[in-house]
Amino acid sequence: MSFVSIRLPSAGSEVIDRARPVTFSWNGKKLKAFTGDTIASAILANGDHIFGRSMKYHRPRGVLTADFWDPNLFVQVDDEPNVRAAHRLVENGMKVTSQNVWPSLKYDVKAANGLVGRFLTAGFYYKTFMKPAKLWPAYERILARFAPGGEVDLDTPHGYYDKRYAHPDVVVAGAGPAGLAAAIAAARAGASVMLVEHEHQVGGHLLWGSDDDRAAAAGMLTDARNLGVEILTNSTVTGRYEDNWLGILQRNHHIAEERLIKARAKMLIVAGGLIERPYVFAGNDIPGVMTSGAVRRLITMYGIKPGTRAVVLTANESGDAAVADLERAGVEIAEVVDGRTGAFVRSAEGSGRGTNHRLSAVTLSDGTKIDADLLVTAVGWTAPTSLLNMSGDRPVYDPAAARFFPGKTPDNVLATGGMVGDGTHDQLVAHGAATGTLAAGRAAVVQHRLQAATARAAAVDGPEPDYPEDLRTPLGRDPHPALFRSTTHGMVDYSEDVSSKDLFGAAAEGFDSVELIKRFTTATMGPSQGKLETVNTVAVLAEARGETIAEVGTTVWRPPYAPITLGALGGRVFEPVRVSSIQSYHESKGATPILAGQWIRPEHYDDPQAEVTNTRTNVGITDVTPLGKLDLKGPDVPKLLSLLYTNKWMQLPIGGVRYGIMCAEDGVVLDDGVTARLGDEHYLMTTTSSGAGGVWNWIENWLQTEHPDWQVHVTPVTTGFTSINVAGPNSRKLMGRVVAGVDLSNEAFPYMNVRTGTVAGVDDCVMWRIGFTGELSYEIQVPAGYGLHVWEALLADGKDLGIAPFGLEAQRVMRLEKGHFIVGQDTDGLSKAPTTGMTGLLKLDKDDWTGMPEVKWALEGDYPHIVAIQPTDPNCVPEEACQILRGPESNEIVGRITSSRYSPTLNRSICLGQLSPEFAEAGTELTVLLVNGERVTAKVMKHHAHFDPEGERLRG
Amino acid sequence: MANAKYSAAGLFIRGARKKTWPRVWREAEPKKAYDVVIVGGGVHGLATAYYLASNHGITNVAVVDKAYLGSGGSGRNTAIVRSNYLTPEGVAFYDRSLDLYNTMSTDLNLNVMFSERGHMTLAHTDSALRTMNWRAEVNKLQGIDSSVIGPQEVKREAPSLDVSANTRYPILGALYHPPGGTIRHDAVVWAYARAADSYGVDLIQKCEVLDITCEGGEGSESDSADGKGAGGKVTGVKTNLGDISAPIVVNCTAGWASTISDMAGVKLPITTHPLQAAVTEPVKTFLPTVVVSGSLHVYVSQTDRGELVFGASVDPVATYDMRGTLAFTEELAGHVLELMPGISKMRLLRQWAGLCDMTPDYSPVMGHTQVGGYLVDVGWGTYGFKAGPVSGEQMAEAIATESMPELIAPFTLSRFTEGTLVGEKGAAAVGH
Repeated sequence: MSFVSIRLPSAGSEVIDRARPVTFSWNGKKLKAFTGDTIASAILANGDHIFGRSMKYHRPRGVLTADFWDPNLFVQVDDEPNVRAAHRLVENGMKVTSQNVWPSLKYDVKAANGLVGRFLTAGFYYKTFMKPAKLWPAYERILARFAPGGEVDLDTPHGYYDKRYAHPDVVVAGAGPAGLAAAIAAARAGASVMLVEHEHQVGGHLLWGSDDDRAAAAGMLTDARNLGVEILTNSTVTGRYEDNWLGILQRNHHIAEERLIKARAKMLIVAGGLIERPYVFAGNDIPGVMTSGAVRRLITMYGIKPGTRAVVLTANESGDAAVADLERAGVEIAEVVDGRTGAFVRSAEGSGRGTNHRLSAVTLSDGTKIDADLLVTAVGWTAPTSLLNMSGDRPVYDPAAARFFPGKTPDNVLATGGMVGDGTHDQLVAHGAATGTLAAGRAAVVQHRLQAATARAAAVDGPEPDYPEDLRTPLGRDPHPALFRSTTHGMVDYSEDVSSKDLFGAAAEGFDSVELIKRFTTATMGPSQGKLETVNTVAVLAEARGETIAEVGTTVWRPPYAPITLGALGGRVFEPVRVSSIQSYHESKGATPILAGQWIRPEHYDDPQAEVTNTRTNVGITDVTPLGKLDLKGPDVPKLLSLLYTNKWMQLPIGGVRYGIMCAEDGVVLDDGVTARLGDEHYLMTTTSSGAGGVWNWIENWLQTEHPDWQVHVTPVTTGFTSINVAGPNSRKLMGRVVAGVDLSNEAFPYMNVRTGTVAGVDDCVMWRIGFTGELSYEIQVPAGYGLHVWEALLADGKDLGIAPFGLEAQRVMRLEKGHFIVGQDTDGLSKAPTTGMTGLLKLDKDDWTGMPEVKWALEGDYPHIVAIQPTDPNCVPEEACQILRGPESNEIVGRITSSRYSPTLNRSICLGQLSPEFAEAGTELTVLLVNGERVTAKVMKHHAHFDPEGERLRG
Repeated sequence: MANAKYSAAGLFIRGARKKTWPRVWREAEPKKAYDVVIVGGGVHGLATAYYLASNHGITNVAVVDKAYLGSGGSGRNTAIVRSNYLTPEGVAFYDRSLDLYNTMSTDLNLNVMFSERGHMTLAHTDSALRTMNWRAEVNKLQGIDSSVIGPQEVKREAPSLDVSANTRYPILGALYHPPGGTIRHDAVVWAYARAADSYGVDLIQKCEVLDITCEGGEGSESDSADGKGAGGKVTGVKTNLGDISAPIVVNCTAGWASTISDMAGVKLPITTHPLQAAVTEPVKTFLPTVVVSGSLHVYVSQTDRGELVFGASVDPVATYDMRGTLAFTEELAGHVLELMPGISKMRLLRQWAGLCDMTPDYSPVMGHTQVGGYLVDVGWGTYGFKAGPVSGEQMAEAIATESMPELIAPFTLSRFTEGTLVGEKGAAAVGH
């Protein structure tokens, strides 16, 4: 039987605008449709009814449910895969192609799989391809070719996706009659309400009901608008998280491709209605087999005649109404099978090849065979309770109504509408309205409590309102026959090609709990996440096990409710890069940038070796703003420092600076830096650049959880100051030209001291005499707004002193010449404090410090040592990571190079490394394995410092 | 009961004769007594049972699980296996595991679909690159196929990655480990279950351990006369399906490891954190390798079904709650789009969480305890799945020989009181 869908005459119920035609292409053919058509209705109107092929057997597939959840209607639209054809509206110029076809929809080679289907039972791949093992990769490539879905165009630009925060009193998920009534009632009671509808129009099943139904929907829409309800269509509440934190995906934003609204709702009302369940029988996936909702939507909303001669299996009002709709559309009704009388459909068969394949006959339970190109089933409903499950609820099966119902939800989540019961239009609206009023009442209590508990909020009006109890009259439950599977086997999961026979087989093999059968067969794991499939899976498993559906139970529904694009979740991808206030200077000088954690820093301006030499000879300045800085105030700061650092802090004088090492509780070096005492109860701590955030967390953790009684106030000020290091023999002279109010003489302001004063006219600058580079140097903390000014003033005043800026690379060379280790480079996740060699700083006579017991243990045993190493060949710079071996012939690792550079000051290569203790003695000859496999020799040095080991320069 | 051997011919014959396959494992009722009771029916528990039976002939064994087999971390991980660890000890341990995974399909006659697709750990900073170089040098000396590759080679292995220089987190290179890959985690559970069952091991689902009974110990915190704790000896377990006596009880649980251990009066230094993961809708395959980015806290691979599977680092807060968060999916998507900007129109299908038991030194706790006959194989953090086979093999040896095999000797519980922490932080692939 050949079949062509026909566009019906225009009707008031339709949502298409026949005055506005659109043109699009479908598998290369140019087609016409109307504004308001979905891709599916547009293609049907043009006489095609096959949209793609199934995953495993490549069976041709057509419309099943004609809504967002239809498992057969996934198409590729331009560069977008897996578009729901019965949901996405068609647009001019759209290029639509079918998925899962090769080489074409009409002639599909892989359809041969259908012939061998009985051998490809669910999970067949676990039982074969084991031998020979070397062939498995080839098998795997073939299996991967059967991956379902569309194709990703890797050149897809990351479009404009937006996010928004909202704090509505009440969010209503679903705008059918109950949801609309709930939104209106909540708004009338004074609540701010957001009404979220998955579809393009509000009204739910009213849209494909009678004229009176549509009038009622229109009236409620007007009421909701007039009451200020925010109505979001083509939007989905994708997830309900802790404390009613909701993800809402808005697909029809006028600028953004999509927008993710993150809402903290005081109350959530779930009014998602019901999803019609397909019937399981042989041939239930032949094109031409549809649910009653599908034909009703197609006829009423899109003016599509879905077939010419129909058999209708009806067990409820929706099926009965479908019969009337089909008659109105001019479809011949060959037979109405009333499922309430015990009759059912046994099987269906199709005929026609390629894209003409279509239902041709239906066999009924009494054996009668009837010619038909359309079989409509109305066998029952599934409540899409995902959002309630995310709130902790497990649905409960009611055998009389043959469906699951919500169990118990938390106080801030309510359900209404078809999900919780059946009723007339007026009863559904009344239940919805009662739910809305209840939600508004509870939201008002939450609002009152929030306001009362929030410092600086306006005073609350009067006493807290009474918390409204749930006194709603429950909706009734209509009896419904339990129609899940016929006497034959058919598809249970269309998108995964899993049949009831597969499920019986899996259960017999022992995969007989709902979670195991899901994992073994992949049933319910496809794009609709079980909304169509779970209950049929459970019913078939119950049948196979001889148990009730209630005994089998359901799987756990996890977020999101509907799949959500990575673009919408990622949004605009706001990952700021941090730069100092001097960045414009660095850029203007063409400095080579380097990414260091969150920061962009100048690696070098010119030749880094020349920058080293100039700093060692004259004076250099460098931008060290990323250095972590924490302002500590309070009488108990010394206690905090003593707890966190390994050395002593109780006696640090005002103006003093001390270096410290921090350990984690396992004794591993966490961070290091210097801390200055600026005033009586005022300290400034510096951390490593990468450790700034971690140390702040670490301090707050200790203060808040272990020592809440200590009076310490911590303020991160890393970006509050611009940090400039002035280093080199001429640095004091240069400082003398720009600093006011501070005596810079070595006697008045010696090494490891701090002073506050004016630099280049900028007050409140903090100056430290410290020396990471090993030179006489001053580190200036300038209030960030004046950073560039001070930097330029230094450059201008230092011209005749030979001043030049230096970058991170020169700083690294100089610190290595000086033998200063870097936490995380020369130490690692296993390096306990003794490894640093700073044993003098490990004060074991203190009461306690974090990591002390572990450090004590470490000191009693063997631990790796950081040592300075010089390769025998002064021109050989071993890569950082080179392993040090037990001997020239050995492969046993005894250490590694952690830092290496060529030193322009010493004209040779220099290194720091970690060595096991037996190799750490000065003068030991080492075997270093270069990355290229070559082995070279090197020597352990006496001091960490390759240069100026006595520290005369920095103290000078 | 005899196992019907799995093969293509078997599929064909059963297909032709319309015969179903026998049960993968028997539905067992608990007996009154066993030689060994293993608590936890995940990869670790089932592998331990299998190797007890196959390597040591100990078959009077029960594995009990409070839910279904593989319901915990074994079915929630992102199924990545590799052996390119940082320390020589870590390399040796995980390489043995990888060996066992490599031959598992033929050894156990069930295709676990080990996909040796290669594993790339991206470096976005020079310090990360330094660590990659270090790992590569250690790995090379251990005979592990592992090297650092540049951005263009990264692009060749995974064309969807953006290796241009002007991204927020530029890809400077990667540690490339060709033998790493993915495996079908549920199949590993079923393969061990089927193989253990074939030796007569009883696998008992929906059997929740309510208590561990002991005698002769110094007593637990709650009851000083209950015979638990140091010096005691295990006598059995109490379950919702009745009491079972056994001289040896092995705790192979995750998420509830410390709760179970308390039942024997043995305190474990474990905190439990959720680890979240997510999967997208399927699309035609385009990502041939496993990609890991430590800086961006994300790892991703594409299954043969076409789904992208994502994982991240553990949630910062300790909790037993396994509900996912919206923030996780937002951060994940943002970071994934940094790496692969072309996939913004792919859709996230499902998110979930598993529980990770973290110890102070990020290393597991294995072997005998101060209670005789009570052994643990717990504290596996974020990398228990990779270690499943080797852990089972070594634990079986520890039980059978009543000693500690060399490979797991560093992981004893006593290290926390003797100051010999392992500190294999490299195993958890944290920043160092």
